[in-house]
Amino acid sequence: MNVSEDALAQELVSIVGKEWVVTEREYMLSYLQDETPEPVRPKAASNLILVKPISTSEVSEILKTANQARVPVFPVGGRTGLVGACVPTEPGVILSLERMKRLEIDRDNLMVVAEAGATLGDLLRACDEAGLFFPPHPGDEGAQVGGLIATNAGGVRAVKYGVMRNYVKGAEVVLATGEVLNLGGKLIKDNAGYNLLHLVIGSEGTLCVITKATIRLHPKSEHSVTVVVPFNGRHEALQAVQKILLSGVVPLAIEYVEPDEINLSAAHLNEKWPVQAGRAQLLIILNAESEEELLVACEKLSAACSEIGAGEPVLAETREEQDKVLRIRSNIYTALKPQLVDILDVTVPPSNLGDLMDAVERIAAKHGVHLPVYGHAGDGNLHVHVMKEEGKASDYVAKVKKEIYEAGVRLGGVITGEHGVGAIRTQELTTATDEKELSLMRGIKRLFDPNNILNPGKVIT
Amino acid sequence: MSKGLKIVVLVKQVPDIEKVRFDYEKGRLDRSSAEAVINPFDLNALEAAAQIKEKIGGVVTVVSMGPEQAEDALRDALARGADEAVLLSDLRFAGADTLATSYTLSCAVRKLGAFDLIVCGEKTIDGDTAQVGPEVAEFLGIPHVAYVNEILDVSIAEITVKSRLDKDNYVVKMCFPGLITVTKDANVPRLPTLKDKLRSRKAEIAIWGVGDLTSLDEKQFFGLQGSPTWVARVFAPTSGKKKGQIVEGTPEEKARKVAEILIKLGASQ
Repeated sequence: MNVSEDALAQELVSIVGKEWVVTEREYMLSYLQDETPEPVRPKAASNLILVKPISTSEVSEILKTANQARVPVFPVGGRTGLVGACVPTEPGVILSLERMKRLEIDRDNLMVVAEAGATLGDLLRACDEAGLFFPPHPGDEGAQVGGLIATNAGGVRAVKYGVMRNYVKGAEVVLATGEVLNLGGKLIKDNAGYNLLHLVIGSEGTLCVITKATIRLHPKSEHSVTVVVPFNGRHEALQAVQKILLSGVVPLAIEYVEPDEINLSAAHLNEKWPVQAGRAQLLIILNAESEEELLVACEKLSAACSEIGAGEPVLAETREEQDKVLRIRSNIYTALKPQLVDILDVTVPPSNLGDLMDAVERIAAKHGVHLPVYGHAGDGNLHVHVMKEEGKASDYVAKVKKEIYEAGVRLGGVITGEHGVGAIRTQELTTATDEKELSLMRGIKRLFDPNNILNPGKVIT
Repeated sequence: MSKGLKIVVLVKQVPDIEKVRFDYEKGRLDRSSAEAVINPFDLNALEAAAQIKEKIGGVVTVVSMGPEQAEDALRDALARGADEAVLLSDLRFAGADTLATSYTLSCAVRKLGAFDLIVCGEKTIDGDTAQVGPEVAEFLGIPHVAYVNEILDVSIAEITVKSRLDKDNYVVKMCFPGLITVTKDANVPRLPTLKDKLRSRKAEIAIWGVGDLTSLDEKQFFGLQGSPTWVARVFAPTSGKKKGQIVEGTPEEKARKVAEILIKLGASQ
């Protein structure tokens, strides 16, 4: 840092105004962490300044100042990430875009232009009011648009329409130098040169700061239903996923849950999970234009599941019932969190999910531990939970994680399908990725951010 | 040998309270602004009936008064554990207050024949009166227990329930035939299975009008004609500031002045 903290704070005040610069640590505590489980969460550095700009030009001025002074900048969104990607791990500036939250729906083009600080909840409500639909649902509606894009968020509704990358059509970004770029636009097709937009999506704040985005929407489906199907065991449930997809039914989501975890989540919310049958269950969300169409799809998926001995499917139809089921599913992580060391999101080709589950079972047996699992079965994305033993993280944790990562890669997968690399998976990325590929990634980072001021220590080291 | 209990569940179709808008100009709910659903408290009534049927055996008949669209609510009820459904639909039922509604429902229950137990939700979310269940019991001349939050025991002849009134719980044993109204705490309504959902779509629903019930009683007790109360106006209350007045003087003078003010406002001497 080529400037004193006081001088830097003064410069930031001159850009955004006094009330939007915070230097007292006690007033920035919630910006020093994300939702990463405490045992693996990186520690925030000292000597931090929190700044909250209102416009792209202010973001540009902040980055220009920081770049000249070689001060690290840590862009933060809703701080709902699980790999410490936004934790300010070096002295520097925390850049929160929470005041930039305007949303502009463009019904004619079925798109929304959203500022980075708008929350997922804001976005869903605005779309709903306009009769439109934004399918991804990474879980926490406090997540912000900038963060959703920077982390290429996935979530439970990716089977039919894909993850965040499939929706972002354009972005306004600010480079480390303060220069503003407009990538893509309200375009369905765009082959004009290398696609920098897709380089930025999922870059976890290490290449630039996303200030605004153009996001594709869908017309709102009039009808939806959430189906819960019980199975006798893990394998039957996972086999059913392929059978459902081959039947021609394309759900918004196919989620895998087990009774222990889902009942724990329900109890955590003071609710009751509606289906107690089976040792494993699939939670399937379908949408359609008519009730008839939905029921035909339900019958098809029921037939596919019954081929492998599934129990009777149960339907959540009203908005209240569907919200409740999704809420309980979304809170498994919250319910497990107090006893959690780390949540993994190894992702394999969907047809290899059964093999990954076998590998996890073998690893659990080998180390004599319980590894709760649930996940986005339709996406081949499994959340394995490494738990505390007698209230603390034991020696087995590192070995278990390494073996699960290796199993995932061996099955044609990646170490992370949606949570990203952040601060806590940099070593694993290095191990699991080809050296040439890593070298290209490092080159790209240097090209975008030669002074390494943007979210240093994250993704690529 | 007994074949179990004959249970009647009374349900109402209401607008989805999460979505419905209020038409301030007309002073009423804009029912077209939201999809119609079964009154949420009635789902607890259906669940209570389904659980009793599972324990004792029997038949659950669901009855609703409403326009043709209320058939959807009845099909939903059939998917959630009911065996038979009757829709009371006739223009002459329109405009009914709680008394006329209760009267109409009680006529329908009589027409159904002998029964053991009637189960209702404690109230509807659009009317919020909690009067219809107890009034139906009065018309039928049977005992009732309102605000049941737990069914403790049930047999072929009687039911023991816990009812919460104000801060106290009452344990009540009631012989059949009788009526209970249940609260949200009574149970967690089940979700329908796909099989039951598909069955409900093909089920036949009996539709009865005034003509089907008048042999039992008089026509003038139905609908608007049979309603001694009506809604004159619906409005959102405005919060007015309470006017304060400070009274000065000795304690005796203050007491006298306060008494004068109260008498002026209508208090007796």
